[in-house]
Amino acid sequence: MFSLLAFIFATLNAGAQDPGLKIGDTAPEIRLLTAANDSFALSSLRGRLVLIDFWATWCAPCVKEQPELKNLYDELKKQVGEGKFEIVGVSLDKSRENWVKAIERLQISWPQVSDLKFWRSPVAKAYHIEELPFNVIIDGYGKIIAMNLHGEELGAFVRRHLGTD
Amino acid sequence: MYRIFLTGVLAILAFQVKAQQKQEPWKPGQLMATEVLADRILAGEAENMLIVSIGPDDPIEGSFDIGPGKDKESIAALKSLLGKTPKDKEVVIYCGCCPFDRCPNIRPAFKLLNDMGFKNAKLLDIPKNIKVDWIDKDYPVKEEN
Repeated sequence: MFSLLAFIFATLNAGAQDPGLKIGDTAPEIRLLTAANDSFALSSLRGRLVLIDFWATWCAPCVKEQPELKNLYDELKKQVGEGKFEIVGVSLDKSRENWVKAIERLQISWPQVSDLKFWRSPVAKAYHIEELPFNVIIDGYGKIIAMNLHGEELGAFVRRHLGTD
Repeated sequence: MYRIFLTGVLAILAFQVKAQQKQEPWKPGQLMATEVLADRILAGEAENMLIVSIGPDDPIEGSFDIGPGKDKESIAALKSLLGKTPKDKEVVIYCGCCPFDRCPNIRPAFKLLNDMGFKNAKLLDIPKNIKVDWIDKDYPVKEEN
């Protein structure tokens, strides 16, 4: 009985994300400024496993997830240093002030980029984002190998691909 | 077995609907479909309404931006804007960050409309966000600045 209910909700949720991008596709290029106003290109991270985290300070569940990402990032500090892993935070914020303050408060040390265009961001369109939080994991060739993993599942996937599990 | 399951699901749904109606500051009739607002803007009939963004941004054509409704400064700005507005005017507020259950902005703003006695207050019914329910549908948006 419960599993039937769970199945119904899982099916409903699965339909929530636009089917525009799928596993195996090349991740669209992201060319934006960082919070420190430096230029950034996703393609500069070729060769690494990259977790692209789409978030915003106005998205409560996204903000709540940041400490978990921080734990994962700290745990994989060695792999980050060796050029094997990276996280990129892409924010759909509108207010630069809110964005920069949150990065400081949450002590986020991985690259953070945004065009500060809220839901009008061309990146949101390119990645067919329908709701936040949303993330994509790409391999060293820039191919999408996972979408929208969170919590334990996310950590396990990353560790498995880096061979640290 | 199946009948028991169905009854259970219906009971849960009915309870949720009832609980939502109880706690929300708007009545179901005060929700305005995005299609209705888009049609009125396109037909040039939006002049008689006041459309106010109470979220992070104001993409809808002709709307005023007062800032996120969760902030005190935004509510003060909304109060000042509404102070200059006739009470019988149709006022439509929207946020569009996220679904209603997660949005921190719509409730404080709608409560102010009620408190100030705006009888013709509406909340734009945005099930997901302003991208999916407005921008992606090519409804009228402001020029980007």
